[in-house]
Amino acid sequence: MSSRIRSLSGNPGRRYQLLFLLALLLVPVAAMSAQTSQQLEVVASSSSTGALVRELGGEQVRLSILAPPDRDLHQLQARPGMMRALRRADLVTSLGADLEIGWLPVAIRQSANPAILPGRPGYFEAAAHVTLQDAHGIADRALGDVHPLGNPHINMDPERMATVATALAARLAQLDPANGKLYAERARDFSARVAARMKTWREGVDPELTAVLYHRDAKYLLDLLDVPLLGLLEPVPGVPPSGTHIRALNERLEGQHGIILYTPYQPDNPPRALARASGWRTVKLPLEPPLDADGDAYLAHMDRWVDALSGPEE
Amino acid sequence: MATTCLVLVLTLVMASVAAGAESDIESLRAELDALRAEYEARLSELEGRLDAAEQKVAAAQATAPTTTTEPDTAAITAVAAATTSSSSDTVTSGNAFNPQISLILDGNYYHDGLGGSGSSLIGEAFQPSQPAHEHEGHEHSALANGFNLREAELAFSATVDPYFDAGAYFAFTGDDVEIEEAWFQTRALPHGLKLKGGRFFSDFGYINRQHPHQWDFVDQNLPYLNLLGDHGLQDNGLQLTWLPELPVYTLVGAELLQGDQERFGSFVVDDEHRDELGLSDRKDGPRLISTFIKLGPDLGYDHAMQIGASYAHNRQHQEEALAAEGDANLWGLDFIYKYDNPAPWGQRDLTLQAEYLWTRKDLLVRSGDDAGADVDLTTDGYYLQGVYGLAPRWQMGLRYDVLGATNQIRGATRLDFDQSDRWTVVLTWVPSEFSLFRFQYASSDILVEPGEREQFDAFWLQFLLSLGTHGQHRF
Repeated sequence: MSSRIRSLSGNPGRRYQLLFLLALLLVPVAAMSAQTSQQLEVVASSSSTGALVRELGGEQVRLSILAPPDRDLHQLQARPGMMRALRRADLVTSLGADLEIGWLPVAIRQSANPAILPGRPGYFEAAAHVTLQDAHGIADRALGDVHPLGNPHINMDPERMATVATALAARLAQLDPANGKLYAERARDFSARVAARMKTWREGVDPELTAVLYHRDAKYLLDLLDVPLLGLLEPVPGVPPSGTHIRALNERLEGQHGIILYTPYQPDNPPRALARASGWRTVKLPLEPPLDADGDAYLAHMDRWVDALSGPEE
Repeated sequence: MATTCLVLVLTLVMASVAAGAESDIESLRAELDALRAEYEARLSELEGRLDAAEQKVAAAQATAPTTTTEPDTAAITAVAAATTSSSSDTVTSGNAFNPQISLILDGNYYHDGLGGSGSSLIGEAFQPSQPAHEHEGHEHSALANGFNLREAELAFSATVDPYFDAGAYFAFTGDDVEIEEAWFQTRALPHGLKLKGGRFFSDFGYINRQHPHQWDFVDQNLPYLNLLGDHGLQDNGLQLTWLPELPVYTLVGAELLQGDQERFGSFVVDDEHRDELGLSDRKDGPRLISTFIKLGPDLGYDHAMQIGASYAHNRQHQEEALAAEGDANLWGLDFIYKYDNPAPWGQRDLTLQAEYLWTRKDLLVRSGDDAGADVDLTTDGYYLQGVYGLAPRWQMGLRYDVLGATNQIRGATRLDFDQSDRWTVVLTWVPSEFSLFRFQYASSDILVEPGEREQFDAFWLQFLLSLGTHGQHRF
């Protein structure tokens, strides 16, 4: 009997062998998948920088996007699929300025890919290439989940995104010098299209219009089009509005004509309650373009926002 | 700027050309065309130089992010001013404070039907393997009826240098400070490898590496609490993980640990007593190895899943009551599924989590009547839990956990014991990213001794506050 038990307790050795064999089996598979193609492997945190990558990179990049457009980029979790995508990335692009703080740094760290660590050429943060609104504010969490680095929602500003595109083209050129000229050309082309679009956008906006947002996320767009922001549904970032807050907000809106803008992941009830009280209309639009968006689709996505701001005529 | 200058020059040229109105219109037009072509060529050349300058700037920033751009051409600085607002390429505050500091306050109001002893009883459910009471440190699970501060956890983490990340986690309880973790981990190893060293929570299973404030319930489940103790598999050692480039997320890891464990590799500390029992001295470490594999198939944006298998082996384990020693083996299977609904604040999100642990200690009796006989102590356990987002910021959770579905002694004697089990419901309110409140009720049916059961109810009201650095949303 004791020999039976001895042999059982000898089992672990065999188990290690098994694990070792398993590991050996994985090696050729890994080597196969490690064979790099000509394309740059780019991972975008969301579809807005994704759209820029697609616009500039074209055939020269292979793109995957970590967060779909209907998610709140503050709230995601670092999932295994993200680590898998980041593991083989040559470049990761994000909006930055702490917007993805909860999950992207963790996912990058866990992906065991030194090429995309912050500070390396493989790490691109859009917010680092433009000036941010509300930067260096009070870092007091009594004021909610604030971003002392500034408002990170620059994807709602096509002009800033054009600046980002120029910086991104330079970064792509650094990683893939052979196609550097091409990336720069495409960035210039995109900037020109944004500039052209700006004119029609400015003309389209109802000059009397004012706006209320749920979160400070579309502030850049309102500023760009000179639409005054009269208030926020959230009393402070990341905290839901109370009835009193909505009533107080409504008093401020009296006599004004405007629109209440919010996004699909924000709750419907507070905007609707304010709409009932004020008689304003609500419009729910995503902050991010569709997953398959390129530069034009990004501009088409901004068109939808501008349409909402251009008055009620059908 | 360059463009405006050129336009200005162009208009001047055109003006002067127009001034000389004597010449033939045709030749003027030809001259103008030539001029335009020339300027266009110049413009595109200038643009090309601008691009080159931009790339230079980017390269300069990448290689030397702290140094200012070289003042070799005015174009570079102009472009730098136009395209970047800061001298660094990152504005994420992850790098703003070094180290990042966070403090977690974890307190509760607790009441059970056993005058408060229920909280430690759930960690002492009967199994043939009995802990040697070596560790006198703080116990997460021991609560009094009434108000308790379970712990204040102070955490530091930072990127040390280009090669290492490090973290240290201290748990402050009433009269005790304990180093929960203090480790470094490599940043720059190639081929998806990472090496971790120091004191850390093992990546065995799924819940093992979570700190108490990361659990979905106030307390730990029965199998982990009873088979691995209050701290789970927490030890000093080394960990190597490998994340190969595969179409499916696959993480393989192995750990070499000292093996000082409360339950899984326990040791009779008192020298005289140990000699009396005929048990051997402490073997040199490392005595514990653990290996694990985790697979995370891609299920799109709404669903995520991870399955894992783990194995650990401790080459020294002593049982005081049996005067026996040998080695200990532990197998684990874990499964986690998460559904992420786009609705705000966790509404309609679902998490399903299950783990199965199975341990066997293969021992040899050293003294007493059975000296020389073999004994195998086998105990397993599992938990199943689900958490659902009832409303924005409100979650409801249900857990069923069992210790000892198999609970037996084989070898010299042959004995089977009953299982202990428990049902738990929890209601969690998350006012913001940084605060959380829980109401939890558990109905436990614990086997205290063979043939003696304790059935009791327990209530918790827990608060968890997070001060400092933004938490990490780990899977």
